[in-house]
Amino acid sequence: MVDVRNVTFSYTRKTELLSNLSLKLEAGHIHGLLGKNGEGKSTLLKLISGLDFPKAGSIETLGFNPVKRHPEMLREIFFLPEELPQFTLSIKNYEKLYAPFYPHFSSEQFNNYLKEFEIENKNSMLNKLSHGQKKKVFVAFGLATNTKLLLMDEPTNGLDIPSKGQFRRMVASGLEDDRCLIISTHQVRDLDSLIDNITVMEGHEIVFNESIEDITKKLLFKVFDKNDKDESVIHSEETLRGYYQVRENITGEESKLDIELLFNAIIKDKNRIKLLFTA
Amino acid sequence: MNTIFNINRLGLLLKRFFLENRQRELTFWGLATLVFLLMHLSGSKNNASTEVILIFISGLIFAAKMFKIFNYTPGGMHYLLIPATHLEKLITAILLSTVYFIAMIVITHVIGTTLGTTFGNLYWGTNNPIFFELIQSPASHTVYLKSEMSLLNSIILFTAFQSVFMLGSIYFRRNAVGKTILAIIVVLMLLIYISALLKNTIFGINTIGSNSHFINLVSSENPFKVEEIIFTIIKYAFIPFLWIVSYFRLTEKQV
Repeated sequence: MVDVRNVTFSYTRKTELLSNLSLKLEAGHIHGLLGKNGEGKSTLLKLISGLDFPKAGSIETLGFNPVKRHPEMLREIFFLPEELPQFTLSIKNYEKLYAPFYPHFSSEQFNNYLKEFEIENKNSMLNKLSHGQKKKVFVAFGLATNTKLLLMDEPTNGLDIPSKGQFRRMVASGLEDDRCLIISTHQVRDLDSLIDNITVMEGHEIVFNESIEDITKKLLFKVFDKNDKDESVIHSEETLRGYYQVRENITGEESKLDIELLFNAIIKDKNRIKLLFTA
Repeated sequence: MNTIFNINRLGLLLKRFFLENRQRELTFWGLATLVFLLMHLSGSKNNASTEVILIFISGLIFAAKMFKIFNYTPGGMHYLLIPATHLEKLITAILLSTVYFIAMIVITHVIGTTLGTTFGNLYWGTNNPIFFELIQSPASHTVYLKSEMSLLNSIILFTAFQSVFMLGSIYFRRNAVGKTILAIIVVLMLLIYISALLKNTIFGINTIGSNSHFINLVSSENPFKVEEIIFTIIKYAFIPFLWIVSYFRLTEKQV
């Protein structure tokens, strides 16, 4: 679905934002693209959708070269940016205007999503809505387009706590086998129990790209009373309940993935984790 | 699926413009009608020059706003991701900045002039005939380069201006009008310099911008005026050239 091959990108000649980056993303998954601010997550999404062009390497999105911005590709992509565009349009008119560009758009789904987000009045003007409300409208529209590729850049920014839960439910319900969702965020907790593949960017490159299934098979996330210096411990954080640790899963014990803990572990010792997953 | 040009997508892009800019368009054309109305209240027939200047200025501002969406990154992203080809997006901009703008100018001119003259006659008790100066006597436009300029030539000149400013709006992210004017001045100065240099090198003439030099290609009785040939070529090739440059610039646009 998305194949990024040895891509290098920079906004200025001096500093490379992405360096020799390669990544393959498959349909039927919700990919979480994680990384600290300024690592190039948004840039990667822009490159995948054809908004920016790589300086070196190549990208294939839905079988197309995104640089060409082919309409056949664009009608199967919906990109929800972090900062939303301004429209002096009502929700109803926005739908009327842009839905025809997307052949699989479902008005029924759009209405249901809006209802779930408690946005009842479709005559509301988009420019009069709060950032959070506007985000909900675009999330609902993006999901209702039923495009094969849905890119979301920091989608939970601006959403209140109940809305984040609604967002997770809606995104999970919107996933189909031929659909690929890429969610970029630095608020890793917001994606808890939503994503099924984690990609981490660090130092302007992909340092980790694994499925949740593989992660929980190879890593153990557990609270321990003592801060053991066991060899299997990769990362440890002191909490009120004890020491929350990421360990090599030697025993095959099942545990619940903690994305934030995993992320911190990767940032701390990416080489060890890389080695563990390539072995 | 038609991957080069689709009339439905073009229709959707046009509809998008009118729906998104409904308020602005209504205000702008309402004001234009009012200006024409006020100019004809007195029944004066000497408004053509002022009208043409106003039309050129408003036209170039209108054209420079065609790709104003790139001023604002999220807007530019949204626009580039609309599932339509670059050609369709460009044709939409061309249609709006030329056909639509000219048609609306004519409509508002006719309405404004009719209402202005009628109200003027009623108020002043005069009996001035309704006269559409802009359409009926373009030869009187003193702002044109040549006084005998036809309506077609006026439209070509206007379209050329529009196209330059439309290209400017793709090239420059901010202050497109100012930067385009600056670019025009720089290009003109460069052309004048090159022309003077060529004349000096080839003919040994040390003057700038003279109209009195001929190249005798066949015989002394059949002189070709170089400026006229160049002017004709430019007249018909300049606008398509600008559109082609705009197209490629749009395809290369990154946000």
